Amino acid sequence: MKKIININFHSRVIPIEETAYDILRKYVESLKKHFAGEEGADEIVNDIEDRFAELFSDRLKKGATCITDADVNEIINSMGRPEDFDQDENTGTNGHGSSRASSTYAEETSAEQPHRLYRSENDKMLGGVCGGVAAYLRIDSSIVRILFALLTLGFGTGILVYLVLWVVLPPKSMVTNIRKRLYRDTDRRVIGGVASGLAAYFNIEVWIPRIVFCLPLIFGILRSIFRHVWLDFDNSFSFITNGFSGGLTTIYIILWIVLPEARTASEKLEMRGEKVDLESIKNTIKSDLEGFKQKATVVGGEIKQRAEEFGNEMKNRSGGIRKDISSMSGPRNGIGHAIGVLFKAFFLFITAIITFALAMALIGLIFSGGIFLPLKGYFIQGFWQNIMAWAVLLFFLVLPVVGLLTWLIRRIIGARRGSNYLGYTFGSLWTIGLICLIFLAASISRKFTTRNGVSQEIPLSAPANGKLIVKMDDSKPFYMDSDWMGMNWRHRGPFFEITDDSLTLNTVRVNVVKSNDSAWHLQVQKLSRGNSSAAAGRVASQINFPVEQKDSLLLLARGFVITPDQQFHNQQVLVVIQIPVGKKIFLNGNLDDYRWFNINRKWRNNGIDIDWDDESDRGYDTWDSNTEYIMTEHGLERTTTGTNSNPSDREEDQKKNSATDSTKKNSDYRYHKPKTAAAVNAPDPVNNMNKKDPESTATLVLLTNLS
Amino acid sequence: MNIENTQSQMRKGILEFCILSIIRRGEAYPSDIVEEMKSANLNILEGTLYPLLTRLKNADMLTYRWVESNSGPPRKYFSLTEKGLAFYRELETTWKELANAVDALANRSEKISENP
Repeated sequence: MKKIININFHSRVIPIEETAYDILRKYVESLKKHFAGEEGADEIVNDIEDRFAELFSDRLKKGATCITDADVNEIINSMGRPEDFDQDENTGTNGHGSSRASSTYAEETSAEQPHRLYRSENDKMLGGVCGGVAAYLRIDSSIVRILFALLTLGFGTGILVYLVLWVVLPPKSMVTNIRKRLYRDTDRRVIGGVASGLAAYFNIEVWIPRIVFCLPLIFGILRSIFRHVWLDFDNSFSFITNGFSGGLTTIYIILWIVLPEARTASEKLEMRGEKVDLESIKNTIKSDLEGFKQKATVVGGEIKQRAEEFGNEMKNRSGGIRKDISSMSGPRNGIGHAIGVLFKAFFLFITAIITFALAMALIGLIFSGGIFLPLKGYFIQGFWQNIMAWAVLLFFLVLPVVGLLTWLIRRIIGARRGSNYLGYTFGSLWTIGLICLIFLAASISRKFTTRNGVSQEIPLSAPANGKLIVKMDDSKPFYMDSDWMGMNWRHRGPFFEITDDSLTLNTVRVNVVKSNDSAWHLQVQKLSRGNSSAAAGRVASQINFPVEQKDSLLLLARGFVITPDQQFHNQQVLVVIQIPVGKKIFLNGNLDDYRWFNINRKWRNNGIDIDWDDESDRGYDTWDSNTEYIMTEHGLERTTTGTNSNPSDREEDQKKNSATDSTKKNSDYRYHKPKTAAAVNAPDPVNNMNKKDPESTATLVLLTNLS
Repeated sequence: MNIENTQSQMRKGILEFCILSIIRRGEAYPSDIVEEMKSANLNILEGTLYPLLTRLKNADMLTYRWVESNSGPPRKYFSLTEKGLAFYRELETTWKELANAVDALANRSEKISENP
C-alpha cells in the first residue's frame, strides 16, 4: 500500500507514488548540484526534467495508473546519475568555440597529466588559482581559499602570491576532485551539527571541536567558582574571555548559517571523504617531485612560450587599443583581460579590507562591551530606552558584520543552497535597528537641551604668606586606578572610578580672576544640562564637590560622584578663585588631570555636538600648571620665580596665546553666568590675557625676527 | 592505469564529433540521438547528452526550435549552425587522420626490431 500524490511537473499533472517522488526530487537535486558550476545549468536540468515529464506521460498514456518507484528508477538509470557523468564526459567544459579545442583534445588524450599546477577554469571565484591548488593537492578548495584569505589579511602577501600565480599558471578545466567537503552533520548534532561536521571533516573525535566551542561556558563556570579566590585575576581576565567567547559563539553561528547540511548519502560520504592529512598531501607532492626536473624544463619552456605569446599579443594590440575596447568582454584577450583582472582584484581587495575592518570593529565592540556596560546606566534610563539600546547594538551594529561575514564565507566555500529569506530577515532587522537608533538618539539628546547651574560661595581665608597653592586632593586611593585595559585611563577621559552604584566624573575647571575687593573669594559653580532649565538645575544641585582649605593649601576633590538615578547630564564644576591684587597663586600640575568638555545641542542639525577641550574653551585656561602667578591690576602675571622654568615652553605657549587672541575675544561664556555681585564685577578672565605684558611681547618680536 | 579509464578517455574525445555528425543529417531530438548512437553500438547516457547539447548550443554550434508533440511537453529539436558545420568539418578531418594513423599503427604486423 502506497500513498499517491499529484504533482505539477512541467505544467502536467502527474500522479506519482510518494516514495517515487522522493527519489525523483533527490535525483533532480543531485543534478542541480552537479551542474551548478556550469553555464546554462538551469537549462540542462530543465531539459532533463522535460524528458522525465515526457516519459511519464508516455507511461500514463499506455495505461499506467501512476508513476511508481520502478518507473522512476528505470528512467534515472537510462539518464545516468551524476556520478556516472563524471567518467563519461568532462570533455564539455573545455571551452568550445575556440580554435584551441582541437589542441586540447590532443593534449588530453596524448598523455595523462593529472599532476601539474594549473588554474582551474571551472572551480573558481576570481582567477581559479585556489581551485587549481586545491585540485593539485586534492583537498577542498574552500580550505585553500580560507588559507589564502588568512595570508592576505594576516601578512598581506597572499594577494601577491595569488596575482603571480594567476599570471604564471596556465588555465585548464579540470574535474573537481574534491574528496571532501565541509558539511553540518545533523545526525550527530547537539545544537546545529557544526562541531560534528568539523570533526567529520578533519577526521578527529567529535568531542574535540565540541570542547573548543564549549570553552566559553567552561571559563564561565570556572570564573564563578574562583571569583572569590582570584578577584584581581578575574577582573583583568574577564575582558579576554568576553572577547574570546563572543568570537567563538559568532563563529559557531556563522558556520551554522553558512554550512550546508549533509542530507543525502552522497553528501554524507563527501563529508567523511577520503582521509586527508598531511601525510597524503606530502605523498602527493613527493610523487610529483620525482619527475620535477623534467617537468621544470617543460613548465619553464611553456612559461617562456606564453610570455612570448603575450608579448606578441600586446605588440599587435598596442596599435589598436581603441578598437579593442569593444572586445574587452571576451574571456581572455590581452589588455582587456588584464584590465578586467586588475579591477576584479582591486574590488576584492577593497571588500576584504572592509570586511576585515568590520570584523575588527565587532571584536572591539565585544571587548569593549565589558568596559562600557557599567556606563550604560548613566546614559540610558527606563525600559524602552534599554530595549532600543539593545536593538541598536544587535541589529544595527552586530548584524551587518555577521551578515557580511556570512556572505563572504558562503562565497568562499561556494555554498549552493541559497536562502532568500535570510537576506530579507537581515535587511528588515537592520532597518528596525536603524529606527531604534534614531529614536534612541532623539530621546537621549533631549537630556541635553538646556543648561543650568547653581553657584555656591565658599569662605576662603587669606593664606598666611599671601600665596595660595591649589592642588587636587589625591590622598584618597583609587579603587580602579590607572591600569584599565592596560592604559592610563585616568588621563584619557572624564569617566573614571566606576563602582556598582556610582560614577566619578572629573569635568572640573579652575579659573583664576581678580578680586574686586581685598579679600579672597571662592565660588564653586555646578553646571548641568537637562531637558528643562528646572531639571538641569535640580541635577546640578545634586553635585557634591568638596573643597578644603588648609591655610595656604586649597585641596580640590578629585572629582564628583553621580549615581545612575541622576543620569549623565554632562555635569560640570567650575571653580572660580578670586585673588586680591598683589597676592600669589600656584596651581599644582595634577590639576591638568581634570577633563572638561561641552555638549551642545544645536537645534539646526538636531544633534549633539561634543567638544573635548576645544580651542575656544582653552581660552578659559589662563594659567599654566606648576607656575607661580601674581595678581596685578591687569590680571595674572607670572612671577619670575616660576618653577616651570623651561623657557622654550613658555615662549611657545605665549606665542600660541597671542595667536589665538582674536578668537578669544569672540568666545562667549559657555557657563551660566553667576548672579552674585562679586562674579558680575569680576574681570573677564579671557580679556585678562589680551593685555600682554611687555616681556612676552618682546619675546614674540624676538622670535619673529629670528624666523 | 586501468582499462576503464583509458576507454573512457578514448570515448570522450569523440562524443561531440558523433553528436554533430548525427545532427548534421537533419533536425534531431535528444532521445533520437541516443537511439541512433545505440544502434551504432555506442552507448551514451541521456543525462550526459543534455549538458553536451547545451554547451554546444551556448557555443553557437547548435540551434534549436520547439516542436509541439502529442505525447508530452513540446520538444527541442536541434540543428547545426554555420559555425557548427565548420567545426564539424574540422573535427572530421582530424578524425580521419587519426583513424588512419591509428589503424595503420594497430594493423602493422611486422616486428620493429627486426633490423636493429
